[in-house]
Amino acid sequence: MNATSTNPEASPTEPVIEVRGVSKWFGSVVALNDVSMNIHPGITGLLGPNGAGKTTLLHLISGQAKCSDGEVTVFGQQVRNNYQLYRRIGFLSEHETVYPFYTGRQFVEFAGKLNGLDSLASAVDHAIEQVGLSDVQNRSLGTYSRGMRQRMRLAATLVHDPEVLILDEPLSGTDPRQRVEFQGLIVRLAGEGKTILISSHILEEVEAVAGRILLMMSGKLAAAGNFRAIRAKLDEQAYKVRIVTDAPRVMAAALVQIDAVESVSIGADGDIVVLSHNVAALMKSVPRLAQEIQIRLMRVEPLDDSLESIFSYIVER
Amino acid sequence: MGSVLWLSLRQLGGRWRLALVLLLAALPVALAATIRIFSNDDSSDENSFVNVLLDGLMVGGIMPIVVMALATAAFGNEVEDRTLGYLVLKPIPRWKIALPKFLATVLIGGPLLIGGGVLATVLGLDAGPQAAVAVGVGLFAGVVTYAAIFTWTGLISNFAIAFALIYVFLWEGLIASLIPGIEYFSVRGYTLAIMHGMDESTLDALSTRVSDLPTAIVGATVVTLLFFGLTVRRLLRMDVP
Repeated sequence: MNATSTNPEASPTEPVIEVRGVSKWFGSVVALNDVSMNIHPGITGLLGPNGAGKTTLLHLISGQAKCSDGEVTVFGQQVRNNYQLYRRIGFLSEHETVYPFYTGRQFVEFAGKLNGLDSLASAVDHAIEQVGLSDVQNRSLGTYSRGMRQRMRLAATLVHDPEVLILDEPLSGTDPRQRVEFQGLIVRLAGEGKTILISSHILEEVEAVAGRILLMMSGKLAAAGNFRAIRAKLDEQAYKVRIVTDAPRVMAAALVQIDAVESVSIGADGDIVVLSHNVAALMKSVPRLAQEIQIRLMRVEPLDDSLESIFSYIVER
Repeated sequence: MGSVLWLSLRQLGGRWRLALVLLLAALPVALAATIRIFSNDDSSDENSFVNVLLDGLMVGGIMPIVVMALATAAFGNEVEDRTLGYLVLKPIPRWKIALPKFLATVLIGGPLLIGGGVLATVLGLDAGPQAAVAVGVGLFAGVVTYAAIFTWTGLISNFAIAFALIYVFLWEGLIASLIPGIEYFSVRGYTLAIMHGMDESTLDALSTRVSDLPTAIVGATVVTLLFFGLTVRRLLRMDVP
């Protein structure tokens, strides 16, 4: 499937990232199969279940891996081993490992030095300020929470002010407040004219920031375009959301009153599984409901398996 | 390049790794001191020292083990914990990543191994400066050459240490002792040949199993450059995990 990820307001600009007939295989395993897409400035969400080929695609776009077939260009240039082009790209990997002996600031400085920045100190200050970690920048990374580490990694990705940002599952490990801040930052950066490609396996994360999405499934591009149109298709299918609270029975009784809820069940582990046709409405209702009945909400998350069934559903149609 | 070198020194210079290197480097010194105390001052003791302690223990065992532990980790740990992306996605040529990794091994392992070897030689052989320099230069060449080979090994395989052990103990330890001519393709052979070539009289016990000095220098240089080139080539071609 070929796709042009265009802005709904139709940008006349040339695509920044072009993926043409790209395949990638590892031995006998085909990770990507003949994927083509164009990506323009603004935020593009790369969505798909785990194992769909999102990370492989991002690695090919950022030049970390070699295409088995096809071609990837950024700003019209081949990416792989094109060191000058690397100055214009920022990549945040899904792996959260950092150098634990560095402080947050040293880690960002290190990235800045390797990018050959002239005004290193001010660039580092600005990057750390952007992610809101100025007060803990001199603490060792080994002492950071998962969310803080993720934000400092983003600062290191932003320090050279790249025009293209490739973010692989950037919101994993962040708490709801950090997530909102993170999303706000991404939107601000897109407003500066940057091209941002952000991957996630969680629909809600992408929906909040990306107006257009690319939907990956089993190594292929399954759908592309305006988020709302694709989302409408998704909402035709019921899918499952897991809710963890300290009072599952009380919460389950309250949930059945919500229109968006199709059915509610409580597992042996006490987790509530809700089947819903309108997950967006459900996600909005659940925190309010928990507050009303005064119970503690520990987790609300779409289940991967049900996501996969939705993606399958889209592909079949 | 200084940033990557400093990072690599921090990565390789962990407390436990340094303690192990120090312990291994001190072992021949302790043994040489013991030999010195109980020696009979005859030439058979000197030959035993050269054959067993200098060749067998230091050059054939401790040096490759120490360099292996450092060099295979130089890239191996980055591949394993997936931090290699922080380096290879930056606008710097690959040799500027490979060189500091290689240098970090030499800078951490070299001084301790060379210091231990030289001190052991002075104690064990009651040798003068020429023998000490010969042993020091030979060990330096060995450390550099092994570092180039094992840095590459750490980048190409998750089983780098197994590869390195097979190379050291099977190829250099067993096969080289059975088949004449292998010393031309052996880091241990280059190391011993450089030592012997720089002080033939004191290290005469090595004379029957080493090549000449120029051949050893050329061999060590070619192997170092070859494996450094292979490391750069691997960095250019590999898919970053």
